[in-house]
Amino acid sequence: MAKGAGIVERSLVSDDQIMEFDNLVMDGIDISGRWNTMLKSRVHGERDWQAWDEVRQNLVGTSIDNCIQCGLCTAGCTVGHEVPEFNPRQFIYWVKIGRTEELKKNADVVWRCVGCYNCTHHCPKGVNTAEVIEVIGQWLRKTVPNRMDPAYHANHRSYRHRLQTGGRLSLPVLQAEFLRELGRQRELMGPEFKKVAIKMLRDGRAIKTLMIGRPRHWSKNRKVLSEMEG
Amino acid sequence: MATQTAYFPGCSLKTVDRAYDVSTRIIARDLGLNLVEVQDYACCGAGELKGEGLKSHFLPGRNLGHLLEQGQSEVMVSCNVCYHELSRTAYAWSQDPKTAQAINGMLESVGEPPVNRRPSVRNTLEYLVSVVGLESIGQKVKRPLSGLKVAPYYGCLYHRPGQMVSSIQIAGEDTEHPHFMHDLLSVLGATVVSHPAETTCCGGKNLLSDERLAGKLTGRILSQAKESGADVLSLMCPKCAGGLDALQFRAIQEAGEAARLPVMYYTQLIGIALGHSAEEVYVGDMESRALELIRRMIPSDQGTLIEK
Repeated sequence: MAKGAGIVERSLVSDDQIMEFDNLVMDGIDISGRWNTMLKSRVHGERDWQAWDEVRQNLVGTSIDNCIQCGLCTAGCTVGHEVPEFNPRQFIYWVKIGRTEELKKNADVVWRCVGCYNCTHHCPKGVNTAEVIEVIGQWLRKTVPNRMDPAYHANHRSYRHRLQTGGRLSLPVLQAEFLRELGRQRELMGPEFKKVAIKMLRDGRAIKTLMIGRPRHWSKNRKVLSEMEG
Repeated sequence: MATQTAYFPGCSLKTVDRAYDVSTRIIARDLGLNLVEVQDYACCGAGELKGEGLKSHFLPGRNLGHLLEQGQSEVMVSCNVCYHELSRTAYAWSQDPKTAQAINGMLESVGEPPVNRRPSVRNTLEYLVSVVGLESIGQKVKRPLSGLKVAPYYGCLYHRPGQMVSSIQIAGEDTEHPHFMHDLLSVLGATVVSHPAETTCCGGKNLLSDERLAGKLTGRILSQAKESGADVLSLMCPKCAGGLDALQFRAIQEAGEAARLPVMYYTQLIGIALGHSAEEVYVGDMESRALELIRRMIPSDQGTLIEK
């Protein structure tokens, strides 16, 4: 049987919190069998307020104060339905009680928010949950980048690079840059992409894409965007 | 007399999604709207910068500043992402004078025009329903879409989050169960097919970085619409079109053949109903089999739609 298989809402408990014994005698009483699984106590000593500080200084971040941990955000979450570890209520809880270690352990989960705003829309207390989760993701990107999927970094970098240099997004160029960042540029020559590329060359959209141009005085404007990085 | 309004197409509509742009312009002309394009536009931020706090308002603020400088105070937006970003910044600007000042400070520091009043950001769908009116659209229908079963799909950013008091709410749209596209399609004579995935997310934000999740989400939307009996999915967001149309093969990889469904912009369907040909509204630009469907439904350019 899988570790901790009998635990209700198993996805909320990480492996290292579970203790299992084949034979266990405590105070002379044999408690093997059904009672052999235990959770480590969740007393935590050191609190770390880095994530809290980061969220609180963001423009929308202060709305995190209103959270009452009701879980409506998580009940209606698009990603939570597909990825059981994705739990915005829990992410906010960890920020609020200073358990940044838990956040860091889930660094590769937090970024998977799709920004559908179901959580913000349904929050009874006015927390802008979607944007708070995004801010937590940005903090993790700065703090533990190595724990996050290369595809996340490639997406982040290519969007920002396109926005900063061009001021406008050319989607085919963005996609090519994303795949290049990951060393997956050969996929562009795959049958599906090739079909679309040939179609766009024929119907004139490829030219439109290349001629998208740049907003006026963009070199000045881009300074504001480039200051974001860092 | 023509009603004049500013119009913000955005990057997608200017390039790969020209079908949405052209069909918006064609139906606007037919319905007596005079669209004035926002000049010197920049990207709206595409939802990518929303974790950046104040900086996330720079690009939308720049666009709003240019709109106002052109002497316009109202802008019609077809793309849901642009609509959301511009509404979000207009809302933040109006909520707190300090935020408004900070946004203008950023704009002025690089010589861009400031936002000195709150512009009204309107969604094209909402504009058609509440300004043009369903009745007058109905009167202009030359080729009713009778027999065509259409599943409306709103996506996320048309109606969420409801806290922003965006134009659709002022117009009386239901932010829990939106119905403007339902209403509009029925006026065109189409059979509107309701389905459970009308407002579920397509995963567009992580379309590139989380392709399997995006495939699952788009697969669910397409298969539920198809299972409900739809011939075509009618959408209103180029980001959704990326996953539901251009990358439909990924939805099929995840959900099987049940996810193979023609996809069109609702503006293209209006264009067809107003008597335009499939070529005029670029139905052929769609990657799904929309053109085949329309050709089958309209035997000739002059003909009316006939039932299959």
